[in-house]
Amino acid sequence: MNSKRLLHFIASKRFDWLLAGVALLLALLPVWTLKPWTNDLARIVIVPFVPVTHVGMALRDRIRPPHATWNPSAPETIALINELSYTKTLYEAARLESARLEGTIAALNAVSTRLGDARPDLIEASVVALDPSRVGGAIQVNAGERNGVVAGAAVFINGDLFAGVVSGDIGAFVSTVIPSLKMASIGSRLYPREGSDPRTPLANYPGAVLKPTGRGTWTAEVASAVDLRVGLFARVSDDRLPRAALGTIIGRVIAVEPIEQVPLARRIEVEPIMTLEDVSSVIICAQGASTP
Amino acid sequence: MRWSICILFVLFMSALDASVGSVFEIGGIRAQFLPATVVFICLSAPKRVTLRAAMCAGVAADLFAPTILSDGNTLVVIGPRVLGFALGALAVVPLRGLLYRQNPLSAPIATMLFSLLASLVFIAVWIVRSLLLDTSAPWWPSTGASELMLRLGAALGDGLMAIVVFWVLNKTRPLWGFANTTRVSPGAARQGL
Repeated sequence: MNSKRLLHFIASKRFDWLLAGVALLLALLPVWTLKPWTNDLARIVIVPFVPVTHVGMALRDRIRPPHATWNPSAPETIALINELSYTKTLYEAARLESARLEGTIAALNAVSTRLGDARPDLIEASVVALDPSRVGGAIQVNAGERNGVVAGAAVFINGDLFAGVVSGDIGAFVSTVIPSLKMASIGSRLYPREGSDPRTPLANYPGAVLKPTGRGTWTAEVASAVDLRVGLFARVSDDRLPRAALGTIIGRVIAVEPIEQVPLARRIEVEPIMTLEDVSSVIICAQGASTP
Repeated sequence: MRWSICILFVLFMSALDASVGSVFEIGGIRAQFLPATVVFICLSAPKRVTLRAAMCAGVAADLFAPTILSDGNTLVVIGPRVLGFALGALAVVPLRGLLYRQNPLSAPIATMLFSLLASLVFIAVWIVRSLLLDTSAPWWPSTGASELMLRLGAALGDGLMAIVVFWVLNKTRPLWGFANTTRVSPGAARQGL
């Protein structure tokens, strides 16, 4: 009798309203009540469909090939450009690193030695799912805890374009990446396209705290005293990010404009060279933000 | 209606939205497969199950779109799209009698209406959540108004997408097991008088 009533209730309109009420309740629950189970549930649902998303991504790459900036005509040209860019990045990373360590000589020796030995693992991962609505902007990659991915690990495109960081939500074989355009702020320095001049002190290259605009770019206010022009490259110079991200390219300056209220500063706008949505694979550096 | 087929199609369309869906993006506005699929169900399935099917699709949409928290973690919030899809379905189901199914404009119009209402509820629920829990909305750093404008454009895109999705789904109609509810009314014309 009771089961009959239960079935009758499930088939009734009241049950629909009950489901809607539960959905409203779930939508308004605080983070700590949702986090232990909703992310896992999402992974359980998504993982069986990873083959479908893989095929979809392959199809997408066919229909809309990755960004043309990094796809010049000849393959050897691509290799050379990547090599050159990578070398520049290594150089900028080394300069920033040494400038940071000049503060304390004792720390210089200790940290320099540690950095020399500790080479973080690099993991190549495929983008398996984008945020369909674009609202959150997070993407899923097919590398997780079992592959050595850690929370806060830096994510790169083509080796030296900083693309974001791995979020704290890491599954065994899948993890979520927060794109750089969704990070609250990124400390950076602006350099000419060809890189910095070794004879020029680092202080001559302006620092800028990039904040996302919501239009797919960043903005920052920079002192007017320094040379600012369109085409400068913004490179990561942020102690909160993993060491591996230091000196990597964030984007290029596309606009410089005065600020009426602050005559001693100018506002710049920086656009990313390439975003996570443009690529099908990324490199994850298995070194968290807190790792020395 | 066969629920297994419904769930499979909903998840399959969500997976397509999460991968190949970005091809259909123009100026930040992205058309999706899922809204048209839900409208297809709303226009074809028995009325009593449409709301549940729409909510089921809302759960799938929420599961495929985690939001980024201010501490750098991600969180899947189940609810905003569930409620949005439910309201969208409630608006579309009464149109079944008004829409002429063979008209190619029926599906896009119903899908646009569905997407628009679903978006409104999605934004409203997130605003309420942000106010209650003092958290940032998923469209940060954009504003709710700009997100609404984007969603309006996306609703148009969903409407256009519905033409293709309906064409494909109509081919799979026998799989869904929809009951044929067309009634033949006796009348003078039918009796040949």
